[in-house]
Amino acid sequence: MTRLTRLLGAAFATLVGLFLIAPVAVTVASSLTATSYVTFPPQGLTLRWYGEVLAKPEFLSSFALSAGVALAAAALSAVVGLAGGLAIHRHRFPGRAALEAVLSSAFAVPTIVLGIGLLQWFAQMGLASSPFTLLLAHLVLTVPYAVRLVLAGLSGLDRSAEKAAAGLGAPPFLVFWHVTLPAVRGALIGGAFFAFITSFDDLTVALFVVTTDLQTLPVRIFNYMQYDYDPTVTAIGTLMVLFAVIAVVVIERFVGVAKLFGADTQERS
Amino acid sequence: MTTMTDAPASTEVRRGRLRLSGVRKVLGGKEVVSAVDLETEPGEFLTLLGPSGCGKTTTLNMIAGHLAADGGLIEVDGRDITTVPPHRRSMGMVFQSYALFPHLTIADNVAFGLRMRKVGAAERRRRVADMLELVGLDGMAGRHPRQLSGGQQQRAALARALVIQPDLLLLDEPFSNLDAQLRVRLRDEVAALQRRIGTTAILVTHDQEEALAVSDRIAVMAGGVIHQLDRPQEIYLRPATDFVAQFIGEVNALDGTALGGGACEIAGRTVAATPAGEPPAKGAAVRVYVRPEVVRVGHDGDGLRGTVRETRFLGSRIRCVVATPAGEVTAALPYDAAVPQEGEEVTCTWRPSDASLAARA
Ligand SMILES: Nc1ncnc2c1ncn2[C@@H]1O[C@H](COP(=O)(O)OP(=O)(O)O)[C@@H](O)[C@H]1O
Ligand SMILES: [Mg+2]
Repeated sequence: MTRLTRLLGAAFATLVGLFLIAPVAVTVASSLTATSYVTFPPQGLTLRWYGEVLAKPEFLSSFALSAGVALAAAALSAVVGLAGGLAIHRHRFPGRAALEAVLSSAFAVPTIVLGIGLLQWFAQMGLASSPFTLLLAHLVLTVPYAVRLVLAGLSGLDRSAEKAAAGLGAPPFLVFWHVTLPAVRGALIGGAFFAFITSFDDLTVALFVVTTDLQTLPVRIFNYMQYDYDPTVTAIGTLMVLFAVIAVVVIERFVGVAKLFGADTQERS
Repeated sequence: MTTMTDAPASTEVRRGRLRLSGVRKVLGGKEVVSAVDLETEPGEFLTLLGPSGCGKTTTLNMIAGHLAADGGLIEVDGRDITTVPPHRRSMGMVFQSYALFPHLTIADNVAFGLRMRKVGAAERRRRVADMLELVGLDGMAGRHPRQLSGGQQQRAALARALVIQPDLLLLDEPFSNLDAQLRVRLRDEVAALQRRIGTTAILVTHDQEEALAVSDRIAVMAGGVIHQLDRPQEIYLRPATDFVAQFIGEVNALDGTALGGGACEIAGRTVAATPAGEPPAKGAAVRVYVRPEVVRVGHDGDGLRGTVRETRFLGSRIRCVVATPAGEVTAALPYDAAVPQEGEEVTCTWRPSDASLAARA
């Protein structure tokens, strides 16, 4: 590589990084402003807006709802993804091809269309809006992804390894535990991670599914901003970023984010 | 580099008599294994040899319990295991793909079967270390499979299979992924190791040279049927069927008429061979199979007369093609044989015990 292309590459990477970081930096900075309106650069320095957030119980309950639904979506996506992936990978059943097609095209459906559809469907089923219907709606978004990740993991698994384990004395459950599960471990963590973020982040679908007394955090922020555009909003935004960073650090600590996206890292021994 | 053979010998085990009686398997509406019968001696190295798709892997999977037999009986040391699940059969399996557990170290891979058997930590460590030394992987215990070469991975897979002292060692094309030189070396090492340890081994391969080199006996399979089950020399020199003759090496197949016993008449000449099975009745249509290596080209004796069409130096042997009234006869002559000239009138002879004779369809 020549000096010039290396330089251009570095410049490009820096620009992309700036482009990604800038909105976050602006949000964080404006949450510290002493003015009662959002402005950048911030004027003065105060933590007052963070106090405002904590003083508003509706924000805290929305956070609890969002986090709870996101955690449930993560866990269920992993479980359903595993079961679905195994079923598709191992068994020939009627409708298998159709199921695979639906799963891979699920991404293409705009979330707003999905939201309208679910609203209609829940209404017709007589399902009242609840954390449960919200979870159901989010699973529609996250399960296809989890299944596809598990399928990718399984395609890297050598069935012979399972046969070898059985021959060495492992009953079916232990074959699954010691051979099959490690092959999809990264896929399950990745699927759960994706599900958590997707659910925690979702505004579009939630807008259709929730009622006034059941608002997820993004919906709460969205509604709040229509009437009061004060720095409370940027303070919450900053807290959400912080929450995500902590989540990534915790996962990195225990699993390694790189591994979760399939990078072939050297095993530490 | 240490090889498997200069490691200390382990204790002799004299068990592992496998018996298949009338074992059948239907897959996708097709009978891919039909009424297979075979019995091994304890400690024997038996090979299932045949072209791709003839049912070798299917047979091995039934022996291991990964596929249920649709008929017949599978026994080990007199115990009927036909319906016993794989994890209660004690079979060490080695595959073409190595099939090591990628997330475990080599030592943990080898220890897997001992863990399943609840062998204590101290004994486990000792047996794993002994086995790794035996296969020449002593320095590799802490590595992960992907850090090893193909040959090393296959040694690790072999160690993992043998450390549990299985009733049977099942090998499915274990050398096919290795390059030619390593393939030959590893196969010889595996054969030597198997003889020292004394575990009965069933090898599946489509490579006839490999089968001839390592086996005590070979079962030649085609279309789900065993055509011949015999020692390598028998299979090579005295093929029982046209398929066996053609599948393994080069052969002269000469058509004639039976004269009783091993004698037959070919193009007006009387020759002799060893009948494969019951001698055909006098007057029956027969075919004689003679390998080029056993054909002698000279001027006397009972044999086929013909004219030398060509002689060619092939490095290890001299190839001589003789045109006879029964067709061309190819001889692979050693260096010390008198090499005939092209156009010379000669007689092709062989020892009756070096050729086989079977009824012609
Ligand atoms: N699951 C299956 N369904 C249908 N046919 C199969 C299946 N597995 C193997 N076969 C067929 O059975 C035959 C024997 O296969 P296999 O035992 O793997 O052959 P080999 O190991 O000798 O190459 C092949 O013709 C193969 O196409
Ligand atoms: Mg096979």
